[in-house]
Amino acid sequence: MQRREFLKSGLMGSTAFAVSGLTAMTPKTAQAATVNVNMTAESTFKTLINGASIFVWQFKQSGGSGSGPGTLTSGLVVNEGDTVNVTVTNNLDRAINFVVPGITGTTPSVSPGNSRNYSFTASSAGSYFYTDTVNGEIGKAMGLAGPLVVNASGNRLYSGGPTFDRQYTLALNELDDRLNNAIYNGQSYSMANYEPNYFFVNGMSYPDTSNDADTVIAMNTGEDVAIRFINTGCITNPQHFHGYHVNIASRNRTPETAMGEKDTVLVNLDECVDVILPVAQSGVYPLHTHYVPGVTANGTYANGSLIIMSAA
Amino acid sequence: MRDILREPLMMHRGGGGGGTPPSGGRTFSYITSPTSLSTSMNGSETMANGSSISTWYFSNGGGFNGDRTVPSPVIEANEGTTVQVTLNVSMMSIPHTIHFHGLDVDQQNDGVGATSFEVNGGQSYTYTFLAPHAGTYHYHCHVDTVLHYEMGMYGTVIIRPPNGSTSVAWSGGPAFDKEYLWQLHTFDSSWHTGGGGNTSGTNTTRYRPDYFMINGRDGNNLNADSTVAISAGAGQKVLVRGVHSGYQPAMVKMGGLVFDVIASDGRPLPAAISATEWLMAPGERYDILLTMPASGQRTATVDYYDIRRGSVLGTASTTITVV
Repeated sequence: MQRREFLKSGLMGSTAFAVSGLTAMTPKTAQAATVNVNMTAESTFKTLINGASIFVWQFKQSGGSGSGPGTLTSGLVVNEGDTVNVTVTNNLDRAINFVVPGITGTTPSVSPGNSRNYSFTASSAGSYFYTDTVNGEIGKAMGLAGPLVVNASGNRLYSGGPTFDRQYTLALNELDDRLNNAIYNGQSYSMANYEPNYFFVNGMSYPDTSNDADTVIAMNTGEDVAIRFINTGCITNPQHFHGYHVNIASRNRTPETAMGEKDTVLVNLDECVDVILPVAQSGVYPLHTHYVPGVTANGTYANGSLIIMSAA
Repeated sequence: MRDILREPLMMHRGGGGGGTPPSGGRTFSYITSPTSLSTSMNGSETMANGSSISTWYFSNGGGFNGDRTVPSPVIEANEGTTVQVTLNVSMMSIPHTIHFHGLDVDQQNDGVGATSFEVNGGQSYTYTFLAPHAGTYHYHCHVDTVLHYEMGMYGTVIIRPPNGSTSVAWSGGPAFDKEYLWQLHTFDSSWHTGGGGNTSGTNTTRYRPDYFMINGRDGNNLNADSTVAISAGAGQKVLVRGVHSGYQPAMVKMGGLVFDVIASDGRPLPAAISATEWLMAPGERYDILLTMPASGQRTATVDYYDIRRGSVLGTASTTITVV
């Protein structure tokens, strides 16, 4: 990755808005809508940044890409108040379900070869993730998780919450190739032995992250930029901002008031952390996990969880 | 063969290397802007179990406190002043940089090769930035970071209030009598054997630390280290600046004593938070204000967790003594 490349990608910034499929910045209408989504749970082989081909699972939206590790996350974006009907077709070899922590509670499973509708109301704005819980954390470790953004009206993170000029969603996950290989071979794997060696933002590793318009944080000096960190993986992620301090707006949709400005924000397991970045200076800066082994691909730096912020 | 790269450190060991001796409430030596740091990839430290671990570090006639290679020296400056730190990379060395972590420097001075430049062997660069809000900050090499940082190329930046006071945390902030700096770090000794040709790769695939440190010391050595073991009079206010320069979450406990968390990442908290334990994530800084009890001795602990926070991998412990 040469410097010139992401300087260039920064220039497209004013049009870049959010994760693909997460764009959906249409103003909320007074009438709540019904959103119908078809998803397939499936296995596939993914080619990672260093050429490794890894067996993964993913929720794949029709017309979109999958949610699995190494895959550009499509995710779901709806407006507050919407009714969401997700039809999951299970093409995996075992039962799964579709759960949105903070909204659905436990849900029934869908057996292999069958489909089930999961319906919920997105009654409260904020950042969420969806996942399978039937297989414990193995589902998430294999890639069955993705981001869900419930937009409030008026470019706010939530009703009465902070406003923003633009927003980005960063889904954070990773994989341990030994786990994936075990599952492929029909074996079990204890999460106690989970030591991931590939790390992703929106399904990509650096430098792929710096060539994706929805993952480069393109912004202008003086703006307030909302960044939604959504932990769709199985480790903690301390996110460090070069060049800036940010304000933590909420953790799992609960407003954060205890902290002042931070340059490093911990995203815990099963946590969504929304921050507001006041763009105080121009320039190109990295945003990355300070679990620095997470900035590698199978040990090689910097092919991991690192993205580029570019401020005009 | 003479180890030329180590010579300046050896010459200054115990002789004031690493800057100005502790003064005010400080328990550590420090250097002030304008200053310079040289790189070395030939350091070593003897751990509590007697093993020798190779280290890479920044030096100003010595590393932290002038008596060790890791961490690197403490850099101090006053809020609102221009800070200048010249990096001198050794002849024939692989490139290095200094990333001033949390100081919100501009792109040119950010120390990231991909967005600015690396400093090659035999070359120098003077990093320049404006000292931000008084508080606790960090610096480290940002070349092949996963390895250079772990090997020991990190240190702390302390920004004093505009008037240079060493008795308040910031202008109008809490006062303190004594000041400690706890720089958390771990080593995975398998990364220090020289395998892999000084680059990250298959030799750095999974991080499994086996040394758990504060200020580069581990095990029983922590009780004997004057920069780590807390010693102060009854009722005195002790500021402990925590800098997490390791890779995994760490839980800090002051032996059951209640303390106030007053600042993080160089910014005051909206209100101090009282706690008996505090989780620090890698890259974070927390400033802790401890009021010494009436008497006695406690054992303070830093538990280093795995990245899932499923288990404690190791603990650094030291004493808190009322004198």
